[in-house]
Amino acid sequence: MSPGEVSAIMVGAFVVLVVLRVPVSFALGLACLPILLIEERLTPVVLVNEMWKSYNAFILLAVPFFLLAANLMNAAGITQRLVDLARAAVGHLPGGLGHVNVTVSMLFAGISGSSTADAAGIGSLLIPAMKKEGYDSSFTVAITACSSVMGVIIPPSIIMIVWGGLMSVSIGGLFLAGIVPGVLITFTLMGATLIFAKVRKYPVGKRSSFREFCRAFGHAALALVTPAIIVGGIVFGFFTATEASVIAVLYSLVLGGLIYRSIGLRELPKVLYESARFAGISLFCIGTASAFGWLLAYFRVPHALADLLAGLHAGPVATGILIALAFLAIGMFIDAIPAIIVLGTILLPLAEGVGMHPLHFAMIGVVSLAFGLVTPPYGLCLLIAASLGQVKMVDALKDIGLILLPMLAILVLVILFPELILFLPRLVAPQFL
Amino acid sequence: MNILIERFHQFLKVVLTVLMGLMIVPVTLQIVSRHTGIIPRYIWTEEVARFCFIWIIMIGSMIAVRDGTHFDVNLLRPPASPRRKGIRDLIVHLAMALLALFFLRYGVVFAKTGFIQTSEMSGINMLWIYISFPLAGLTWVIFLAEKIMQDWELICGASRPEGPETSP
Repeated sequence: MSPGEVSAIMVGAFVVLVVLRVPVSFALGLACLPILLIEERLTPVVLVNEMWKSYNAFILLAVPFFLLAANLMNAAGITQRLVDLARAAVGHLPGGLGHVNVTVSMLFAGISGSSTADAAGIGSLLIPAMKKEGYDSSFTVAITACSSVMGVIIPPSIIMIVWGGLMSVSIGGLFLAGIVPGVLITFTLMGATLIFAKVRKYPVGKRSSFREFCRAFGHAALALVTPAIIVGGIVFGFFTATEASVIAVLYSLVLGGLIYRSIGLRELPKVLYESARFAGISLFCIGTASAFGWLLAYFRVPHALADLLAGLHAGPVATGILIALAFLAIGMFIDAIPAIIVLGTILLPLAEGVGMHPLHFAMIGVVSLAFGLVTPPYGLCLLIAASLGQVKMVDALKDIGLILLPMLAILVLVILFPELILFLPRLVAPQFL
Repeated sequence: MNILIERFHQFLKVVLTVLMGLMIVPVTLQIVSRHTGIIPRYIWTEEVARFCFIWIIMIGSMIAVRDGTHFDVNLLRPPASPRRKGIRDLIVHLAMALLALFFLRYGVVFAKTGFIQTSEMSGINMLWIYISFPLAGLTWVIFLAEKIMQDWELICGASRPEGPETSP
């Protein structure tokens, strides 16, 4: 069979099944069946075997552990301490709680690697508080969802770990590369909040005294050490990404169980179950997506596509934009992790063809996919925030669009100026480049 | 029958919780042994963690079939009547059942290859890990059969019995 025939059957079947509302993971597996049954050179066991191979990777263990760490932080009330600190630092600005929402997302992102845990944890605390103070529900939901995408851009990041593991890119390098875009997005979101606050006359919180700030900082200090332990540990070679994720779990357990005494043995099974369940669903999707990706690669579909695109003679910038658009488009429909497997491997030869640095390619992908977390129809962070804010997803879309526009400008900056993301890894750990 | 399926579902939830807790142990041992030397450097830690992980994924996928929490994409308008909802859900569940049967059939072939292998580090017979695939297929078949019956009742106009909701 030719690459064209194979991709038409597989992609066609996948799209039809997804539109019919078959779960993405099952649709990916089902789309492989016709080819596996028709092609004589392949045995149907390939599907199971490829799934097994994708799971049998130590690096992916970091996914459930980082989810668990984030859920433990939420259960242990650490998120509340971060909120108190952010309120003391930026609560007095116009649209105070909006800024608190953004700042706390940035702090939380440095501790957790999951945007969904960020949206769920921070949203459950701040969405009711913001609505009570008179913020529009749509803005409240939009700012919570948009700021939570930093969870996967600021290290540690589950998406980066999957990317690094799949495409053999240094995870330490990816983590360092994510810091600058993450901080830039924070400032962008705070700027957007300021404009919203002026136009819609949102309330201004009371300014905290220096003493109050110091007290809030003291309460959150132990949690704030986490990013240094995790990122520092990986970057300087003390432990692997998977080990770092377990350290994050143990540290949250010590903080919540022994120091703050806010999490008991009774709450633990629920947190363990919820983390494992969510990780199981996400990773099951990785398995079928891997088999799907493997089958496409077997019939040299990625190469055919890369050849086709190479025929356009696009330069590095045009290629970067093309890659971003592809990830933004796929991110609207499927989860980031299967998107990396399906699309990342296809676009890799294209990026290599124009001499794009692997970290640059990765950051364009990660930032684009992070935006996919708030774009309908399948934006998990938007879905979580909308359900917490008890508003329909469509009602928040206008504000989401207004906030996303300046965030897209950051993506364009990342495409245009690779040095923006490469200088930090080059400075701190040149061996990653 | 429903009670049996419900009990099995609860049992899977307990196993998933325990496995998640257990998975922390080998990786912690690995870090402690490397950095402190108070315990020997076991070579099986990574492998045992990986095997727990594979079971977590497969059991998570089983539970999510019954809970209706596998990720899906909502592109079409919601069905106008319960009957139409029943028809839509029936198509989805039949499609999922097709993969479930495929998994069961070829998962058994896959598991048989595990029977003649032992793992490199821990010496565990690989059947213990490979068997999670056909078992997932079998469990999906059971959970989906329950759902298909519910869909059928909905199409025929009976009220939907108590049970886990399908995803919104």
